[in-house]
Parts: sequence; C-alpha cells; structure tokens
Amino acid sequence: MRLMRANILAITALIAFGPVAMAADSKKTAAMVEDYEHVPLPPGFQVIHSELEGPVFADAAGHTLYNWPSKGLRNGDAGEQKGKPGCDNVKQTETSGLMSPYPPGLILPEVETRPTCTQVWPPVLASADAKPVGKWTVVTRNDGSKQWAFDGYPLYTSILDTMPGQTNGGTHRRTRGDAPAYRKPVSPPPNLPPQFRVERQMTGRLLTTGGFSVYASDKDGPNKSNCDAACLRQWKPVLAPAYAKAQGELSIFERSPGVNQWAFRKKPLYTHLDEEKPASFEGSDEPGWHNVFTTMAPKAPADFIVQASRGGEVLADKKGNTVYIYMCGDDAIDQLSCDHPDTPQAYRFAMCGGGDPKRCLETFPYVIADKNAKSGSMAWSVVAIEPLTGKKAAPDSTTALHVWAFRDRPVYTFARDKFPGDIGADGWGEFNAWRNGYKAFWLRDDFRNNAG
Amino acid sequence: MKKYLAPAVALAATLAAGSSSAIEGPAAALQNRTIAYVLSSEYYALYQTKDAKAECPTGFNDGPREQFKMLFPDDGTKRTVVDTQLAREAEVWFPTLKPEAFPFKEAQSKIAPGANLDGKVGPNDFTSPTGEPGIDNQLYRAIGCIYNYRDGGELWIITTKWRQQHNFNRTIIELTDVDSLVNDDDVTVTTYRGLDKLMAGATGAEFLPGGSQRVDTRWGKEFIYKFHGKIVNGELITEQGELVLPEMAAFEDPSVLPYRSAMFKLKLTPEKAEGVIAGYFDIEGWYRQLNQGWATHHQSYGQESAPSLYRALYRLADAFPDKTGKNTAISGALDVKFTQVFVQHPPQETSEAPAKKLIQVAH
Repeated sequence: MRLMRANILAITALIAFGPVAMAADSKKTAAMVEDYEHVPLPPGFQVIHSELEGPVFADAAGHTLYNWPSKGLRNGDAGEQKGKPGCDNVKQTETSGLMSPYPPGLILPEVETRPTCTQVWPPVLASADAKPVGKWTVVTRNDGSKQWAFDGYPLYTSILDTMPGQTNGGTHRRTRGDAPAYRKPVSPPPNLPPQFRVERQMTGRLLTTGGFSVYASDKDGPNKSNCDAACLRQWKPVLAPAYAKAQGELSIFERSPGVNQWAFRKKPLYTHLDEEKPASFEGSDEPGWHNVFTTMAPKAPADFIVQASRGGEVLADKKGNTVYIYMCGDDAIDQLSCDHPDTPQAYRFAMCGGGDPKRCLETFPYVIADKNAKSGSMAWSVVAIEPLTGKKAAPDSTTALHVWAFRDRPVYTFARDKFPGDIGADGWGEFNAWRNGYKAFWLRDDFRNNAG
Repeated sequence: MKKYLAPAVALAATLAAGSSSAIEGPAAALQNRTIAYVLSSEYYALYQTKDAKAECPTGFNDGPREQFKMLFPDDGTKRTVVDTQLAREAEVWFPTLKPEAFPFKEAQSKIAPGANLDGKVGPNDFTSPTGEPGIDNQLYRAIGCIYNYRDGGELWIITTKWRQQHNFNRTIIELTDVDSLVNDDDVTVTTYRGLDKLMAGATGAEFLPGGSQRVDTRWGKEFIYKFHGKIVNGELITEQGELVLPEMAAFEDPSVLPYRSAMFKLKLTPEKAEGVIAGYFDIEGWYRQLNQGWATHHQSYGQESAPSLYRALYRLADAFPDKTGKNTAISGALDVKFTQVFVQHPPQETSEAPAKKLIQVAH
C-alpha cells in the first residue's frame, strides 16, 4: 500500500520556503529549509521537511511520526498520557459519550468494517534492545511490546501518509470546543532564540515574538536596517539583548552603536506598532512590508483565488465562492477521524444533506478539478470521488468526480452563499463544526484566530 | 489593516470635560452636525416576570437533552449513531415544518417591548410596557419561554458579553445632518462596523462615552446601511430598511443577524442612546446564526431545541410572504444600549488595494 520514496530533496524542492520578500529567487529559496534544533535521534529515524508543518520526525521509510496528547472534552479526557500507550488493536464499536451532549453506547457507523486504532495508527515499535536517546524513550504497550516515545508521548505513523513529508494524518491546526483529541505531527524544537516562536497558520509557519507577528521590509539590506525616523513611527525594531547570541537562521546586527537588532535570514525584523492582535497580518498591508514565515504553505492550485470576506480573507474558487474544509472525529474512545473519503461518510452526509447524498452534492458541491490537473505540491491533489458514496472511486469508475483535495480530503463550496466571500457555512455542523462539519478555508482572520 | 488612529485619549478628555446629562448637551459630542454611538449592550426584547408564570404558565420548553431522552429512552435498546445523534443533528441543519411530537410553549403575555412595525393594532400584537399598542414582536412569542433567552439563561448572559468583547461585532451608528438631539425632522443614520474595543469604566461593567472607533470599510462593507429618521422629544425614530448586524458568538464563528427590515427607536442623550432595534428578522438567516453561534451543546444549557424553534418561527412569522404566501420573516426587537463615540473614517484608498496582497503570500 505504501509507496514510500526517500527522495527528500525532490520533496523539499516543491515547497515554497521563506517569506514573500525572500521567495523571489527560487534557486536561492530552494535551500531555505526551516532550521530546527538538531536533537539526537535513535538509529532509523530522521527529520523531514513537510510542506505544512515544517520539520517533522519520520521513520526510516519517511513516514511522519505523530503523537496523541490527552485532551479534555466536556465529559472526560481522550488521548494519551505520557508513557501510557492507549491506542490498541481492539475494535471499538460504540461511542464513548465524551463529547457533549450525546450519551455513550451508540453503535458507530460501518461498525462491521471499522478498523482498530493501530490499524489506522501503527505504533512505532522499538526493538527489545532499543536505548533511550535524549527525549526519545521506550515505553511498554499493553501487549508487552516496546514502542518509541518522544517527550513521553508514544509515537505512531498514519496510514494516510504515502510519501515522505506528507502530514495527512494530523495537523497542529488550532481547534476549539469538543473537537476530537487529534493526532499531531511530532517535530524537533525550532532552532529559535527564546524571544521567538513559530505560530501555525493556514498560510505557513509564522514567526512571532511575544505572540506578535514580526515583519521584514523590502527597503532593508542584508543585516542592515534602513528604517529611518519616519519609519520608526510605525515599526519597532526587534532588539536583541546584550547577552543574546545568533542562533539558527536568526542573526544579530548592530543597527546603531550599542543597539542590536535581530534579523531572520539576514532580513532585519520589526514589530508593527499599535498592532493589538497576536499573529496578525495587518502590518503586511503596508507596501513593502511582509510577514515573516519560517515555512510558507504551498500555494493553492490556479483554480483558486483569495477572496475578501467579512472577517478577513478566505480561499475561494474562481467565481469567488468560499472554499470549505470538512472536519470530523468520531466519539469512540480511540477518536478516529471521519473527515477522509476512506472513513464512514454518514457523519458528513448528515451535515451536508440531512443524510441524503444527493442533497449533499447540491448543498456542498465538490470543487471540480480537471482530471489531469497538477497542483505542484503534496498538500493539494486531485482525487476521484464516487459522488453518491463520498468515497474514493475505483480506477475504472465511470461515475467518478475528479475534485480538488487538501491534505487528501476534498474541499467544497456552499450553494447557499449569496455573494463572493460570503461565509454562510463557516461553523456549519456539530459543535460549531469542530466535531463534524464545515469550516471556511481561512487565510487571514483580522478579528479572531480562524486562520490559525 | 492600515491604521488611521487619532488621539482617542484627547477626545475622551475633551468629552469628559464637557460631559453633561442635559439633553442638548455640550458641543463636544455633536460636532459638525454629527454624533455617533457604539453598541455596548444587546438583549432580545422580552417581557419577563420574576416567576415567569404570567407569560409561561406551563413552564419553559424542553431542550435537546430532554427531547433526546424522550425519543430514545434509556431502556436497554441498542441504537446507532446514525439513527439517533446524527438524525437529530440533521434536523438542526436541515429543519422541516413537519409536525413533531413535542409540545411547544409560546409566551402568553399581552405585553412585550418592541415597535409597531406595520402601523396597525392587530389581534396578535402586544402592548409595550409603557402602554403603546400595536407592538409587533412575534419572536417574543417564539423564544419567550425558552430559558436560553431569559434573564439568567446562557445566551442572555453571554450574547451581550461577546457583543462587548469581540471587535467583529462592533456596531456603530453615525447620525448626520443633526441640528438638535431633541427635535429634528430629518436626520440620516448610517451603520458601520467599528474596529476598536469599547472604552470601559474602572469596574468594567460600564462603558464610557467619548471613545473613538475606526470605521471598517474593508471587511465590514456588508454592515453599512443608511436610514432616514427624525428626532422627536429626544427619541430617534428611523424609517425601516434592510440591516445586517455582525453576530459572532461561541468559538469564533463569524455569523450575522439579518433583518429583512429594521428600524431604530432610541432615546438620545449626548452620552448614550437606548431603546430597540426593531424589525422583521429573516427566518432562515436568524436560524442559521443561532446554530452557527450556538451548538446543540450550548443550546442544551438553555433548553433550546433548534428544530422545534424553527417550526415556531414559521408558525408565528408575520411578514415578507413568499410566492406561496408563506411568511418568511418574523417581527422582533433587540433591546439595545449605545454609548457615544467619535468615529474615524478611513482614507479613501484603504478599501481594495491590500486585498491583493495576500494573494502573494498564499500563492
């Protein structure tokens, strides 16, 4: 089933790295792979640069590694505690009742063929003589076998990842409410001074300081600030303390005698004065100024545009119809996702058509793609879907629809949206759609954090 | 977003120095025949007695949990997710008008706040608490016995808090062509979305006049509406017109509250404007914002069954009939408080140019 190739360089070349200001020269940017802390690795593991999640740990074949940290839901906790593997080979048949307001004990959809947790999330097994390295440890599973863990959390791969660098299994994307306990890719620590953090956004991995976006200017030179007195009324240099040292891709230069400023990939860094919202994009409205990303998300295919909406910007089809992502996790104790075409479609059909697949096609139509369209990235692809089952079509199907997919999951529009950028289905579904429903494909949210 | 900040502190100080409760007030708030207010409190206009016996003599409605238990009693029967949970959720998102087994308790009071929207006094109309007949507020009949909306219900408590906390919901009215805040037979009211926090008092419970609000003409275009009106004995009364209010609720879902036709009826002072935004809510839009803002989980807190309420909304709908004669809008009102604010309009060029920017970022 798996067609893994260890051609890491080919994968990374597909990725658009670095902020806009630094992405003009593709030959140079191809080498701009996000730096990370080179922590010691046990034999057989590696770090791979993924398009959406930056550097991630992977096994020898290139499978991204995931953990499943415990999350508090309304009626109890799901996920794993450190050192205690909970994903096993037992087939769950009923809901757990962890998600409010429905009771436990309801029989799950497609229960006869429902996989076990480990059939979806194969544990990363360790040999009997495996030795801990740094934060890598070995934990014992309930069946007595040994499993690798990082920072205490047991590690798994995902059957949805079929190529090195894919992160189809999980994401660090922010969730709310009674969203399931999702699996998340496991990464080495970013190689950043303590002043900085990386925030996951739909547009990439955003560099921040104190939670606020940092920016770079087209007018600056390598390790040279040209921000004069007038400029300084709007922009505040990110100063480096006297004891700070250059680290990774962040360097320090002397902007004036005795005053040191940080630079990322040699571009001087600033915050935007008066910016109230953390991880904001507002500063990039100023001509010549750009948010700084350690890794840019791959561009969407040419069939999509960016559309203004009432809260910011969303991805849209060519007509300006807002694009929606479908999110779903079931309520079994193993919290398997139901947002992929290979999973039961009963959840989605309930939300998109009241249980009627035909109504789904009318209400939440797929974004149709040319059968042979290429996206230029792994994140975006064309998948063949059997419209009345919602599942992936057989190769010889004559009824299949070829549709655009993000992270191997189809994207949709909403037939009741009335004008370009209308977001009438944002939050359409169970628990504001965090559990089972549709969220707009936010690229920028000037009011809250929907693009995070 | 491009900043166009003005010295809000200085403006606030100016107003504070000239603050007055006199209805004509100082010139500080009314400048260039213009005064503006920002929405700082919002509740559905309901008439509530302390024990609710007058308006809800048989008690409050059941909610999702209670209905689920009635449909699927805990009697040992094995049931599926599809037949229970998903079937109920499907009803939330694809509601029908088919009769259901659950009784629905409508508010029985003859008294309700609001406005006389159709200029008539009909048999289903209410009398306002101050004695005005002909009040059109059928939404009260629908939600008056749902605990969520009543004093102490979750939605009652939180809606106005989110109105105050989230800039997405910031709503401004700007009155122009104003000669007097007491009597003026022709004023113009324009609604905008603001971009700034409310200026709270020291306790956080009150909001102070004299703050400033930048107008959002970039993302907030769909919230700009104009109304003509008049001021009579200190009360602003506008003509009716379409209105959409931003209405972000739980978990950051940026929904909207759509009126097919709305009017402002507000007592004005230089510091505040209080009264109602009355009108006919578009039922489909109203119902959608309910469910986008409030999941079944939240509705359960306040015993609010969306599918049952949907039926009641159409049963009580009283305006905007479709081609078949079925009314598609329901009269209602928001009980609102506005606080005086100085409005800053953006420079002309800020509307479109930055929108192209993110194309470069994302692509």
